[in-house]
Amino acid sequence: MRVVLAIAAKDLRQRLRDRSAWVIVFLAPVLISALMALAFNNNDTFRANLGVVDLDRGPAAAGLTRVLRSPELRGTVHVRSYGAEAAARRAVDAGDVHAAIVVPQGFTASLHGGSAAPVRVLDSVDHGLQAQLARAVTESYVAQVNADRLSVATAVAAGAPRGDIPRLAAKAALLRLPEQIRAQGLPDSPLKVISYFGPSMGMFFVLFTVGFAARGYFVERQQGTLDRIAAAPVGRGALLIGKSVSTFVYSLAGLATVTLVSWLAFDAEWADPLGVAALSVAMAVSVVCLTALVIALVRTEQQAQGLASILVFALVLLGGNFVFASGTTPLIRRLALFTPNGWALRGFTDLGTGVRGWDAVGAPLLGIAAFSAAVTAVTVLLLRLRRTS
Amino acid sequence: MVCGLLRPDAGSVHVTGRPVSTAAGPAKQLIGFVPQDVALYPDLSVRENLRFFGRLYRLPRRRLERRVDEVLDLVDLASRADDRVESLSGGMRRRLNIGAGLVHSPTLLVLDEPTVGVDPQSRHAILESVTRFGEEGMAVLYTTHYMEEAERLCDRVGIIDRGRLIAEGGPRELVQLVAERDRVRLTAVGDLSAYAEACRRLPRVEGVARGGDRGDVVELVVKDARSLLPDLLDLAHQQAVGIRSVEIDEPDLEAVFLHLTGTALRE
Repeated sequence: MRVVLAIAAKDLRQRLRDRSAWVIVFLAPVLISALMALAFNNNDTFRANLGVVDLDRGPAAAGLTRVLRSPELRGTVHVRSYGAEAAARRAVDAGDVHAAIVVPQGFTASLHGGSAAPVRVLDSVDHGLQAQLARAVTESYVAQVNADRLSVATAVAAGAPRGDIPRLAAKAALLRLPEQIRAQGLPDSPLKVISYFGPSMGMFFVLFTVGFAARGYFVERQQGTLDRIAAAPVGRGALLIGKSVSTFVYSLAGLATVTLVSWLAFDAEWADPLGVAALSVAMAVSVVCLTALVIALVRTEQQAQGLASILVFALVLLGGNFVFASGTTPLIRRLALFTPNGWALRGFTDLGTGVRGWDAVGAPLLGIAAFSAAVTAVTVLLLRLRRTS
Repeated sequence: MVCGLLRPDAGSVHVTGRPVSTAAGPAKQLIGFVPQDVALYPDLSVRENLRFFGRLYRLPRRRLERRVDEVLDLVDLASRADDRVESLSGGMRRRLNIGAGLVHSPTLLVLDEPTVGVDPQSRHAILESVTRFGEEGMAVLYTTHYMEEAERLCDRVGIIDRGRLIAEGGPRELVQLVAERDRVRLTAVGDLSAYAEACRRLPRVEGVARGGDRGDVVELVVKDARSLLPDLLDLAHQQAVGIRSVEIDEPDLEAVFLHLTGTALRE
């Protein structure tokens, strides 16, 4: 055990004296995830300033304004009223509001029969998300109004006196459409960009450890120190474990640094710290296995560097380290299941949206374990073949 | 093979009765290995290198620290103990390379051509150290192409040619093999390759080799140099080779090698 620790400590000391390693594994992921968080910040500062033009001045139009000012939307939607559509249009174009909703004249009257011009949303290309929100709220409200109209029309068709229409309309307005469909498994909390890209960038850069460690092995072989270790009473197992421990510790330290900085400095949120730790450990183990595979596959330092680079970029592109998994094609999402980082990111996404414990990390841990086991099996096979050839 | 780096095709190596193998057997604890090329970590300090190699031999912490200090004194690097190896001169690295093989106080020290590419001062220091190790009771297995080193340092010499041990014994014993032969060293100008070939065909010539920094030397191992010398000079005249100087030496290990292999050593 002392020998294993001596080899691991020596490797770590060398690694920490390499400035490029510091930059790549510790500094770069923190900086890039911070930049991404700043660029795509989607946390509670999301805000939609919406204008409302009430040309109807009836209770139905007032109802829409009430919805926009409801407690559910408080903090997200801010309403400003305009007297005319032209004024609202100018405000949208000037960026004073992100979008504006125009309720046409006769909107309330249309509830009693007849037709009115449609409710319209004035939007701007600069604030697509806020315009979408305005459209969604309006459509939802109009759908409710249409349902009320249908109720009243049905009552009248069934023989209700026309004099009862205002009372029926008021009664229908109290009713609400049934609860919307809600897909099972969807999280309660929105995923913050930093909660995804923090670990994502951490994994991306920690995967470079594969190249460092594999190259280090060949450098040692070239400079003769591996022979020197082999001449000492040190078993191959101790050498292998010692080098693996250093790679594991280094990778884990890189991931831990990024997650800690993301959490402390950039308000990343994960529901379960133990889950974060488990995913980081599993990912560090897979880095160790990949390093062994690269060493088994190549024969020189240059080959190790080349293969490790290809491997890293293939894994991060397939695993979804640069884009949210939901933003990729089904094929890429399926291919991500063949990468440890793809599995880890699924876990971090669940943890970042409030899912806890085994529900969040169970499948990812098993997926990463399967990947690591497969890589280890191939490595052992290659080493045996090399020994016999 | 002696250090357990390679598996032997046949035979075995024992150190104080313990077999050496590629596995981490107890015999390896007794061996100190100093490879030909400097095998150290350039980004670690002198002390860190010695400490690391000492730890591989499971030295207890206090003993390790004591041995590291002793070895630093021994290789005269105590003042550079905390400097990185990459900042040392070539000679210092060579000395540290030897020191790293000594930290665990081995019973057998294997030195693989430790003076190759070393400046004269460092070479002298290394040879002095090796002599001292021997005097202190450490067995030293020293491989070299320099016969004068073998003659100066070794109690027993084995001559290996093309992977085969062709002679073994004390330096005096080996020199006896060519006791009646002389070594003739001719410094000359002209077509020395042709001249050397012609010399080889002369009777009483047992070994011929080219040498000298500028390739201007022909070395011969011959029987009765004085009677052969006129023939050598005649041959030079015939071949239009100008002889600049002639040296006749008493036989030494180099002559032994030349005699046994028929070729020069420094290849």
